[in-house]
Amino acid sequence: MSAAAAKNLALPSGPSVQDVEAGLPGSARKARTPLSLVRSAPRKRRAPFVVLCFGMLAAALIAVLVLNISVSTAQYQLVKLRAEQTALTKQNQDLTQQVQNFEAPQNLAAKASELGMVAATGKGQIDLSTLTVSGDAKPAVKGDSAGAVIAAPAVPGQLNVVPPASSGEPLASRAPAAGETAAAQPETPAAAKPAEPAAAAKPAALNGGTIPAPEQRTPGQ
Amino acid sequence: MSVAQGKSKASKKKAANATKRLRLGLSIMLALLVVVGGKLFLVQGLDVGGMAEAALDNRLRPTVLPAERGSILDANGTVLANSVIRYNITVDQSVNTKTESFKRLEKVNGKDELVTVSRDQGIAELAAVLGMDAGDVRKSVTGTRTYYIVAKDLRPDVENRVSELQIPGIFSEGTSKRVYPNGSVAGGIVGFLENGTTGQAGLEQTQDGILRGTAGKRVFEIGADGLRIPVGIDELTPAQDGKDVKLTLNSDLQYFAQQAIQTQADKLSAEWGVIIVSDVKTGNIIAMADTNTPDPNDPGKVAAKDRGVRSVTAAYEPGSVEKMITAAAVIEEGKAKPLDTFVIPPSLVVDGQQFDDSFSHGTEKRTLAGILGWSMNTGTVMAGQRLTKDQRHDWLQKFGIGEAPEIGLPAEAKGILTPADQWDGRQQYTVLFGQGVSQSTLQTVRAYQSIANDGVMLQPRLIDSYISPDGTEDKVAAKPPRRVVSEETAQQVRDILESAVTEGQIKEAAIDGYRVGAKTGTSQSPCDDGTAGFCGYTASMVGMAPMDDPRFIVEVVLQRPKGSIYGITNGPVFRSVMSQALRTYNVPPSKGAPVRLPQFAK
Repeated sequence: MSAAAAKNLALPSGPSVQDVEAGLPGSARKARTPLSLVRSAPRKRRAPFVVLCFGMLAAALIAVLVLNISVSTAQYQLVKLRAEQTALTKQNQDLTQQVQNFEAPQNLAAKASELGMVAATGKGQIDLSTLTVSGDAKPAVKGDSAGAVIAAPAVPGQLNVVPPASSGEPLASRAPAAGETAAAQPETPAAAKPAEPAAAAKPAALNGGTIPAPEQRTPGQ
Repeated sequence: MSVAQGKSKASKKKAANATKRLRLGLSIMLALLVVVGGKLFLVQGLDVGGMAEAALDNRLRPTVLPAERGSILDANGTVLANSVIRYNITVDQSVNTKTESFKRLEKVNGKDELVTVSRDQGIAELAAVLGMDAGDVRKSVTGTRTYYIVAKDLRPDVENRVSELQIPGIFSEGTSKRVYPNGSVAGGIVGFLENGTTGQAGLEQTQDGILRGTAGKRVFEIGADGLRIPVGIDELTPAQDGKDVKLTLNSDLQYFAQQAIQTQADKLSAEWGVIIVSDVKTGNIIAMADTNTPDPNDPGKVAAKDRGVRSVTAAYEPGSVEKMITAAAVIEEGKAKPLDTFVIPPSLVVDGQQFDDSFSHGTEKRTLAGILGWSMNTGTVMAGQRLTKDQRHDWLQKFGIGEAPEIGLPAEAKGILTPADQWDGRQQYTVLFGQGVSQSTLQTVRAYQSIANDGVMLQPRLIDSYISPDGTEDKVAAKPPRRVVSEETAQQVRDILESAVTEGQIKEAAIDGYRVGAKTGTSQSPCDDGTAGFCGYTASMVGMAPMDDPRFIVEVVLQRPKGSIYGITNGPVFRSVMSQALRTYNVPPSKGAPVRLPQFAK
C-alpha cells in the first residue's frame, strides 16, 4: 500500500494516539497497532526455469533418437547396397565366364569349322616401308583327313559348341603334294617370283590310306 | 496434577510408539535397499554369473573372410584358371518337415499379395529350378537333420531363383569353385586341385602358396534382427587375396601345337608326343604341348601317367640331336671346322666298337657339315674322337645335360649324364651321337637355344610375373645367362644346321620365305619295363628360324611311333608349328641368301 493511501485512511476510533503516547494511567485498553497494508516483495517466478529444464531434456532425447535413427537407416542402406554389389558381381562373373568359353581355342576352332572355314597355310607379306607384296598367298584348301579334336573345356554349366564331327585340319594342306620338287628358296622381298611350297622330298605312296608306306631312305634322292 | 501427568505420560508413550514404528519401517526399507544395492553391485560390479560375457558372446559373430585364390593367366592375359562364386543349397530338415504351408509375397494381378503355398508345391518348384527329380528333393528335405546339402555348385542365377521361392528351411551357402576356361589347352601345365582347395598337379601345386593368399577375420556384434549393431565391437582383419600368376605361354599357339602333336601321335600310333616352342631371345616358353593332356575341370578322364607334363618329366635318349653338341664342342675346341674333310668308311671300327649309319654307303669324303646333314654316326664318332673323354663329358654338361631346368613344374627331370670315368668302351663314343645319355625335351631345346642366341644360354622361363591383387606386377627375374660357346662357333654351328635343311637330308623342314636350320634325331628307346635292350624308337626334330636372326626354336618328339622308323618324319608337324609361330609374331621373312655348306668334300 502506498504511503499516500495510508494517509488517506481514517484512523479507527478509539483512544487517541496522544492518549497512548502519554501513557496515561487509567487507559485500561492496550493500543492496537494501526492496520496498514503490508507491502510484499515480488515473488520469484519459477515456471520458465522448469520449462527450460524440460525443454533441454526433450531436445536431448530427440537428438539421441534422431542420431540412432540415422545410424540404423544407414545400416539398412549399407545392407541393401552390399546385396546389390553381390548381385552385380555374380552377374559379371557369369557373363565373363560365358565370354571365356566362347574364346577358348578349341571352341573357336570348332565354331570356325562349323561355319566351313579352313585354316590357311600359305601367306604373303606386305612390306609397308617399300609397299611391296611378297610371298605366295593361295586360297586355303580343305584337307581330306580330319585331325585330332581337342575336347571343349568341361566347364560345368557352359554350352558346348564342339560339333559332333569336325572337318578340316590345319595340317591337311601340308600333306605332301604329289609331283612337287623340293626347293625351299627364300625370296628377297623385291623379287615377285612366288616361292614354291616346301614339300616332302618324294611323293608319298598313300595307296588310298592316310599313312605313307614305310620306305627306305636313300640319300641324294 | 496427576491427570495431567498421566496425560503427558500417555502422550509420551504414544509418541514413543510412533517413533518406534517409524524406525521399524525405515529399517525395513533400508534392509530392502541394501538387498537391491547388493545385488546390483554383484551383477554390475562383480558379474558373478558371467552374464555380461554370455551376452557379449551371444552378440559376437566371428566370420572368416575367405581369400580369393589367384588366377593363372597366359602371356596375353587370357585366363587359364580362376575362381568363381558357386552356391550349395542346404536344408534344415527339421524346419522344412514341420512346415506344412508357408506364406510368400507374390505378384497376383499386378499387386503384391501374401499367398499361401503348400509344402508339396514348394518341393515341386524347387525340383523344377534345380533340375532334379521331385521325389529326390522330397527325400533330401525330409528328416530331422539341421544341415543337409540338397544341391552343390550352382551358378548364381540358379541360386537366385531358389532363394526367390522362399521355402522355409532352405538356405544357400556360397563357396568358391575353380574353373579352367581353356580346358585341356595347357591343362597339364596349369594343373588341378584336390577337394577344391589344394593344388595337386602342375602350377596349381607348385605355386599353391602364392595363389592361396591369407584368409581374413571379422568380429562384429549382431542384434536379434540380424543387423549389425553399429556401436558395438567391429574388428576387421582384411583377407589378402592370392596373387595371379602370369605365364609366358601363348594359348592360341599352345592349342595349335597340342592339336598338331595329337594328330601326329594318333596317326602314327605313338605312345606319346611333345612339342616345345621357345623364344630364343628371352628363353620364354611359348608353347609346351603334350598328347592326352588332362582337362583340369575333369582330370580323372585321362590316365594318371598322362597328367604330368612330359616335356619336362620324360627323360629319354636324345639320339642324333646331340650331334649338334659334339659339333659345337669340336669347333670350339679348335679340333675341326665345318668344311674339314673326313674320309668315312662304310662302317667304322674304333677300339673294337663298330659303328654304322642308318643308310649304307661306300667310303665317302664328307665335310663336318655333311656329317651332320646326313646324320652320320660314323662321321660323328670320327670327329668326336678328337675330344678326350673328359672333354666330351664337360661339353655335355656345359650344354645343360644332367642339369634340370627349373621352370616351376613338379618332377622336372635332370636327365642322366654319368661321370666320364664310368663310361664303358662303347658309351664313350655313343654319347657323341646321343645314346648312353638321357635328357628331357626342354633340356634339348635349351642346348639349341644357346646356339641360336650366339652362344649364350638362357634358362627357360615359364612363369613371367606375379600380379598382386592391387595390380602391381612383379616380374620374375630371369636367371643369369651363361656363355657356352663363342659367337663364331655358334654361327658356324648354325650354318651347319641350315645346310642340313638346304643341302642335307632335312629338306622337309624348309618353310616358305624363311631360312630354317634343323636337326633330326632318331634314337633307340630303352625298354620301360626293365627288360634289357631297346624297344622302339624316339623320333625327334628340332629346328630354329629365321636363321638370319633366330627367333624361335621348335622341337617335335614322338615316342615309339609304329611303322618303319625310316619312313616317319616329323617334318610336316615342325613346319606347321614353326610357320604358325612365325606368323603369330609377325616375323619378317628372311633376307639374303641361305647358307649352303657343301656336304661332300672335294
